[in-house]
Amino acid sequence: MTTIKRGITILLTLTLCLPALTAAVYADEKSTAPAPPQNDLSALLNTIGKKVSDFTSLKTDFTQEKEMAMFKEKLVLKGRIYLQKPSKIAWHVDSPVRYSVLITDKFIRQWDEDTNKVQELSLTKNPIFQTVLNQLTVWFSGEYGSLLAVNDVRVKQNDPLVLEFLPLEKNISKKVIKSITITFREDQKYLKRIQITEVSGDVTTITFTNTQLNVPLKDADFEVKGHV
Amino acid sequence: MFDAFFARAFDVVRTHKRWVLLIVGAITLLSMVGLAFIRYEGNIDLMLPPDKDITRSLQFLRDSNLSDKIVISLAVTAPDKGKKELFLAVDQLSAALKPPLFTKVMSGISMAGAMDEFSVLQYAPQILGEEELARIDGTLTAPFVSAQLKKIYLQSFRPESIFMSSLSRTDPLDIKMLLFGKLKALPASMGYDVAVEDGHFLSRDGRHSMLIVQTSVPMMDSQQSKELVRVLEEELGRLPDYITTDMIGGHFHTVSNEKVIKRDIKVASVIASIAFLVLFLVVFRDPRAFFVFIIPLIAVAWSIIISTFVEGKLSYLVIGFGTAIAGISIDYGLLVYIAMKRGSDASQMIKLAKLVSIDAITTIFSFFVLYFSMIHGYHQLSLFSMLCVLICLLFSLFVLPLVLSWEHFHLVADPTIGDRLKRVNWPAKTIVGIWAGLTVIAAILSFTVQFDSDVKKLDGSEPSVLLAEQHFHAIWGGKTNQAIFVVPGATSEDAMELNDQVYAEAIKTVGPENFTSLALFWSSARTRASNVERWDRFWRSGREAKLRRLITQASDRYQFSDRAFTPFFNGLYAHEGQGKDPNGMLAKLQERFVVQKQDGFRILSYFPDEQSSVDALNAVTQKHPGTFIVSGRVLSASISDFTSREMRFLVPLAILFNIVLSWLFFRNWTETFIALVPVLTGVVWLVGIMALFHMPLNVVNLVAAIVTTGVIVDYGIGMTYEYRYNLRIGTVIAVTLSAVTNVIGAGVMLFARHPALYSTGVAMVICMVAGYLSSVIVVPSLCSLVSSARKEPA
Repeated sequence: MTTIKRGITILLTLTLCLPALTAAVYADEKSTAPAPPQNDLSALLNTIGKKVSDFTSLKTDFTQEKEMAMFKEKLVLKGRIYLQKPSKIAWHVDSPVRYSVLITDKFIRQWDEDTNKVQELSLTKNPIFQTVLNQLTVWFSGEYGSLLAVNDVRVKQNDPLVLEFLPLEKNISKKVIKSITITFREDQKYLKRIQITEVSGDVTTITFTNTQLNVPLKDADFEVKGHV
Repeated sequence: MFDAFFARAFDVVRTHKRWVLLIVGAITLLSMVGLAFIRYEGNIDLMLPPDKDITRSLQFLRDSNLSDKIVISLAVTAPDKGKKELFLAVDQLSAALKPPLFTKVMSGISMAGAMDEFSVLQYAPQILGEEELARIDGTLTAPFVSAQLKKIYLQSFRPESIFMSSLSRTDPLDIKMLLFGKLKALPASMGYDVAVEDGHFLSRDGRHSMLIVQTSVPMMDSQQSKELVRVLEEELGRLPDYITTDMIGGHFHTVSNEKVIKRDIKVASVIASIAFLVLFLVVFRDPRAFFVFIIPLIAVAWSIIISTFVEGKLSYLVIGFGTAIAGISIDYGLLVYIAMKRGSDASQMIKLAKLVSIDAITTIFSFFVLYFSMIHGYHQLSLFSMLCVLICLLFSLFVLPLVLSWEHFHLVADPTIGDRLKRVNWPAKTIVGIWAGLTVIAAILSFTVQFDSDVKKLDGSEPSVLLAEQHFHAIWGGKTNQAIFVVPGATSEDAMELNDQVYAEAIKTVGPENFTSLALFWSSARTRASNVERWDRFWRSGREAKLRRLITQASDRYQFSDRAFTPFFNGLYAHEGQGKDPNGMLAKLQERFVVQKQDGFRILSYFPDEQSSVDALNAVTQKHPGTFIVSGRVLSASISDFTSREMRFLVPLAILFNIVLSWLFFRNWTETFIALVPVLTGVVWLVGIMALFHMPLNVVNLVAAIVTTGVIVDYGIGMTYEYRYNLRIGTVIAVTLSAVTNVIGAGVMLFARHPALYSTGVAMVICMVAGYLSSVIVVPSLCSLVSSARKEPA
């Protein structure tokens, strides 16, 4: 059984190619800012990273829109994200179906309305979720400086700040991701929107609203069953 | 005849005294200089039997690149540092390890490349067989397809769907599930419990990463291994402080073994030299005793040079015997020195020369026996030791008297030396009774002695090497020993076709979970072509149309578009021309499964090294000539069988030589038996004591025991000769000093860290002490009983 699980995770890892990526927004926006030199870009990413990472807990609503060739219409999900540093994230989808997942550094616990069952998996045996957690950590923690090595980073707009990350050849996400664009809030303390454009043409946009930083979170916020 | 020959030879030497001493001095000087240029062999192969199966296995391990790999585990230790810093360190080290020493460095697997190579539509048609297609056929039903679409729809709400939702378009039936069974071999094939993240190997705890380094340095090459380890340590020293490393690989054992043996030899030589010197100066209180002391040292130097000239590189293990040989071969000089000190007359000196010669001949024959072994290392040991003994004999008989009778410094005479020892009167019957009783007990105990054939236990690597391995396996697993099933072929395709057949039979025999083969996830071109044909036939015979229809029926409910699964249908037959990327993941994985040789290819499969699996798969090798199994367990058993067979032959041969030589000397069975009492005692007590203390015998201490019999038989012959013929040549003191020097020579090996040298020391000390005690206590008692018995009838 263990070997099957391991096989599954290996295959999924192989096929999913979960990347060391970042974020996105407004792929269609025209670049309005000249490309700063590499040193300035690195300094900018570090400065932004410091601002964005200056919190211990986060609570935000989100709307995820997916324009996918697979579906006739745009898929719109609404839900909430709770994050407690260093590595505890709850992702609750409220509509159109109810689904919750809690990802910690040790395990993943998920529940869905359809089966009404809670499933718990060890994170060490699920590299996909582990990688997702890593990516979420990158987005939310603001460690953008490290992404410069594997992405071509452009400042698309200065006010509000919009950064576009284009995976370089050596970036393992290059095969799947065309670009990731991040739009920051006016105060640059957090993200406003992430847009991921896939090579296939599919576009996923996550917009954060009612974001609250450093607010006390309840245990119930991290429960997956009956969270609504 | 001996008397005349010896007298004439000694006259010649005495006449040309200055020239003889000059030549000896010059050769010794040249030998000492030559020693600085001699290189030794750290390879333990020399000591292993040349049995066909063993040789083939060892040759295989040498030819394959399996043993020329080094694996480095890097750990990030600072709590505020993470994977980012760890991977940076891995990349830094990876970039620093360059040819010619390091030919290839693997720090991970490119997921992007892997995704291409193993994408469902590229991979499944080639690898899925008839059975799997039948299972796909079973899924072409309305309920299953509907359930699948629902699953894909629900997946879109999960966080991971950000990356994977579009991939579902190429796999509506979840065919990847069928590939799981195949791909589960991938981590197993690595031999480690490893995950991959950001293109790097990562441990499950996320704090360790791994580098697999291929090197051009053969594992057994001690000189190059030392350079390799030095460069590696230098590069590791450049890593940040918060990174620690553990390295595993055969090279570390080679370097460490050599280091330990060298240290042991140094320590043994120093202790033995000091002990010999102190002993001689205290007992004899005569600076000329120094000449007796240096004879074996000169003989060792000469012997190393001559043996190297004849045999090529000598094994370190052979040289490790040096101190023991020195201890053994000092006896002849001792006997001559004591006889001269006692002022023995010319007739007694000729008798002494005869005794010393027979002593040396028995010792030479005990080493000569090793020439009947098929193990090449024993031949080296034999030649080296015989030369050493012969040179010592010649020096003792012809050179030592010249220096002892030096005109300017007369020998300090002491006609009573050793008399006190000889005057001890043992109660003969009681002594013989006690000896017989103890020997019977030892003989009974000896039936319970264990024989340990595990040659790995003769590995003397330092604790740091073993500790690094322990750390490594605690993090990465891979400790379970694996055996290898080898399938040869003139071409890669030949080997892979045969490998496909072997795989089919092997999994029936030991189960697919116990047999990791290349055939599992990459079969021969013929099999793959056949699979592709079957795949195409399968879909073209109406199933593609059926699936399209079923998807269309279920799509509306979940809002799937008409083109939702177009990538799947477009790619259904587009698998042709899929070449293998030489730098791709499959190519990297194949390195573990395919070995290219000058005369063809070998495909390797792995299975647990358990007797039941080996036995079951041996039946498969019988059906396919040329295939064979390489198993540590089998190797160990073969060595054990071979050694047992040899010992059953060599031990009686050694004893036979001793009996024949003793009889030739005495021409009398009673005296021959008495002279052999120390040999009998030494061997039986050794085995009995080993059994009593639950110490298993091994191949090394058996050889040491054979060699020791050649020494202790001298004690028996000497003591019997002295007592039966009432000589006054100081045999008792000579035997005692000889035993002391021998026990010192062998005893210092008890301080050795290397298990092979330690085992030698244990066997020689027990054998020697038992042989000595019986020669000075039991032999005189037996001689007196025999004399009384002969007198009574008179």
